[in-house]
Amino acid sequence: MGYKTDWFRGIYPALVTPFTRDDRLDEEAYRRLIRYVLPHVNGVVPCGTTGEFSYMTIEERKRAIEVCLDEVNGRVPVLAGTGCPSTRETVQLTEWARDAGVTGVLVVAPYYLKPTFNEVYDHFRALDKLGVPIVIYNIPQCAGTHFRWWTAEGMLLDLENVVGIKDSSGDMPFLEALFEKVKGQVGIFVGHDEIVQAALAAGCDGAILASANLIPDIWQVIYRATLEGDLATAQEWQAKIQKLVRIVATCGPTQAVKEGLEMMGIPVGVSRHPILRGGSFRREDYEELRMQLEILGKIPPADVVYDLGGREVATRVAATPHTPRRVSGWDLRVGEGFAGPPFHEIAHIDLLIGRRDGPVGRAIARSLAGWGEARGLKVISERPLILLVPTVTIRTGRQRELFYQFAAEGIMMAVRQNIENGFLPEAALDDLALIINAFVHPAASIGRRVMLNNYKATVQALRKAIEGRPTLEQLFEEKAAARHPFRYAP
Amino acid sequence: MGNRTGWLRGVFPALVTPFDPKTEEVDEEAYRRLIRHVLPHVDGVVTSGTTGEFPYLTRAEQRRLVEIARQEVGDKLVIAGCGASGTAQAIALAQDAREAGADAILVVTPYFLHPSDKEVYQHYYDIATRVDISLILYNIPQVVDAVLPRSVVEDLADLPNVVGLKDSSGDLTYTMEILEYAGDRIDVLVGHDEVVIAALAAGVSGMILASAQVYPEVWQEVYRLVREGRLEEARALQRRVQKLSRIFCRHGGGVAVKAALNMMGISVGPPRRPLKSAGGALIHETRAEIQLELEKLGKIPVEEQPFAYPSGLLETRFGDLELTPEVIRAHGLRLGSGTAGEGVNRVQLDLVAGRKDTPLADAYALQLTYPLRGREALTAILEPGLTVRPSTLLLPTLPQKNLRQANMIYGPTQLALGRAIVDALEAGVISAQAADDEIMVVLATVHPKALDRHALYRSVYEAARMAIAQAFSG
Repeated sequence: MGYKTDWFRGIYPALVTPFTRDDRLDEEAYRRLIRYVLPHVNGVVPCGTTGEFSYMTIEERKRAIEVCLDEVNGRVPVLAGTGCPSTRETVQLTEWARDAGVTGVLVVAPYYLKPTFNEVYDHFRALDKLGVPIVIYNIPQCAGTHFRWWTAEGMLLDLENVVGIKDSSGDMPFLEALFEKVKGQVGIFVGHDEIVQAALAAGCDGAILASANLIPDIWQVIYRATLEGDLATAQEWQAKIQKLVRIVATCGPTQAVKEGLEMMGIPVGVSRHPILRGGSFRREDYEELRMQLEILGKIPPADVVYDLGGREVATRVAATPHTPRRVSGWDLRVGEGFAGPPFHEIAHIDLLIGRRDGPVGRAIARSLAGWGEARGLKVISERPLILLVPTVTIRTGRQRELFYQFAAEGIMMAVRQNIENGFLPEAALDDLALIINAFVHPAASIGRRVMLNNYKATVQALRKAIEGRPTLEQLFEEKAAARHPFRYAP
Repeated sequence: MGNRTGWLRGVFPALVTPFDPKTEEVDEEAYRRLIRHVLPHVDGVVTSGTTGEFPYLTRAEQRRLVEIARQEVGDKLVIAGCGASGTAQAIALAQDAREAGADAILVVTPYFLHPSDKEVYQHYYDIATRVDISLILYNIPQVVDAVLPRSVVEDLADLPNVVGLKDSSGDLTYTMEILEYAGDRIDVLVGHDEVVIAALAAGVSGMILASAQVYPEVWQEVYRLVREGRLEEARALQRRVQKLSRIFCRHGGGVAVKAALNMMGISVGPPRRPLKSAGGALIHETRAEIQLELEKLGKIPVEEQPFAYPSGLLETRFGDLELTPEVIRAHGLRLGSGTAGEGVNRVQLDLVAGRKDTPLADAYALQLTYPLRGREALTAILEPGLTVRPSTLLLPTLPQKNLRQANMIYGPTQLALGRAIVDALEAGVISAQAADDEIMVVLATVHPKALDRHALYRSVYEAARMAIAQAFSG
């Protein structure tokens, strides 16, 4: 029969595995990451799903676990991911991990060939003989196998070295069944970032999370508050990070966490292929994650100078490694942004920003004096000067409402926010002019989505125009895999 | 042995139900016209099926559709859709259908509350034993959200008046399983427009299709050819309608069928709400694609559009951008032109590039304030979120008359141009310095009848490569 340990509780980050530019394990970056999370966590998980264990060789996994053990140096438990598709390989790696000194092992349901429940049970029974504490790991999104409460109960209560379960399914009824059947006898962890507060409040002993690489401190606050019965605080914090953790949980966790850490100044490289930049973790997700980290104060500020030709404006912004510290070329800077779904409420922004006395300002003046009214152009801000242009000819009253009311409000939300956070510095507002060409689909319905998508697309377009993104390096890296949605027939 | 009738074979359109655009009332005259349009090529019709929007019809309306069909089709078959979520309603509909003169009823798997196998069996059993009419079972998991279990079909086939099964799943493994277990006793009809030949070759007796009211003659011919073992000819014929069939099955359903019929001059009005004629399940872009495919099939006339590729000295082609030959020379703007492709896939690109402190920047900014109807300039991208550098505007020289034409520009053209630019950058044809300091405007002339996205992509890429080489080589 399994048992409950004292150490299997609290917040455990599922550590990403840093890789160097030539795709080797980056041990220094790994140690830095561990040092960053360690003050806030109750344990760590090397080589979990977020750690890309399935893209690593056995030798690499062993080395990562060794580095982790060395850096942690006994301060918190190390729960090492040792799951493989076959029982044979899992046993070998688990045995090695036991001898290397891990506190316990986290073993994913054997995946890909979809063994039946009794085959899964015997897989864990074989591991049980090794004498190392085992946490069984349910993650149907990846493994393709979903434990049932009655299979999980069997493994949790029959096997003597099983100390708990991590459930990443996000399936609350499944967790509730576990509370009913095994609560207090083994540890129950939630692994789905979006429902942590609810799961802890309902009775989970802790959480193993991808997003705990990024915000271990906030997860610790939520965990502590729940332990102390302060549900209001826990709920408030979960709500504050909900968007961030939804992006991490649902948009390609490995790449999302890695790019997030990079934004925060903790470089860990990128995910191994086939995961790509701009893939499951889409470019619009990148921009949103950045905004969320920015709002939480996780992106360190830097001084940036805008060379407006003849005069310089200094500003201070939350800067990523890709933010230039000096921005010139304010004749014309170009940015583009895209946000969706839903399909008909997609926003697409073509944005120009430049000096009022340059091409952008001149074009605004000319268009207003000429065809402005006839073509539906509208000045929606004086500081900075912003001309809003409909990409699609407006024909109906509803289109007009969606464009001039909802889309325009979304665009202005983005502008106001970027004035506040310094990307549009107050001292430069009299000098700057923008042309924002916005697409609202003629069949759009949902006003709020139109507004929010235009907000997001404008933030992207603005940041990209100012920061000069995409970089050439990014273009070369991503050009082969780019897939234009209108390139193909239905 | 079994219930195979000998008459449940051939081609049966699942008729749409025409509605008045204002009142949403059933338009009976339009229904009669629709039946007369299909009748020469079909073996019968299906009223109030899924394509006929049966869940939006009242019992009285469904009965009336059967009456009209009975009057119109003569001695061909009337198969009445009698789908309902509950058994009592289905029985009532079946009784109506029988009284109104239907030859058979088509009964969908009970939906919404997800009854179990036993309950599904009892549903059909009750209808079959209470109403004296031939019954066709109906598997359509796409809308029912459940498969009609094979074991249930296997048993239902023993009931004397269960004569067939319509399989709209498109899942041939299911069709094969039904043929294996019940094919000796009931006729199987294919209900998925994309897999007709495969299903016919596998041994189904006929088809009930949404698209059989748009191109009934094609299916009549496919049916004949397969029966005669002339598979090559049948395949070639089905391939001509494959894209439209796919659109009807997967990109709009009955709404797309109504759009096609309306384009062909067979007015059937809009769907009932909440469905929208376009902008819902059928997006405008797909509707434009339907028009194009109907043009290809000769179902609607092709609109002729006067058209010429720009000619004359290259430096005189940028007047729209207010860049005269003098301005171009004075500011050292780079010019390049490229032409590639054959026939309607021939593309011409005229390119101007230059620094951001030249009048080209004014032209660039001005273009984004001036939405020329049908000639909107867009930024060159590889995909949304990935703009190319140098920043480039793509400007069609011809007004785009419809979304299909627009999709040729803003899909394949935009991407091919973007790729050519990035490839030129990577190859060093365009310098990294130019990527920062310069901008480009590309005038694209694409034939208004271009329709092969892949061919167009290749033409644009090649034309762009030539234009860039000319502009940046020296």
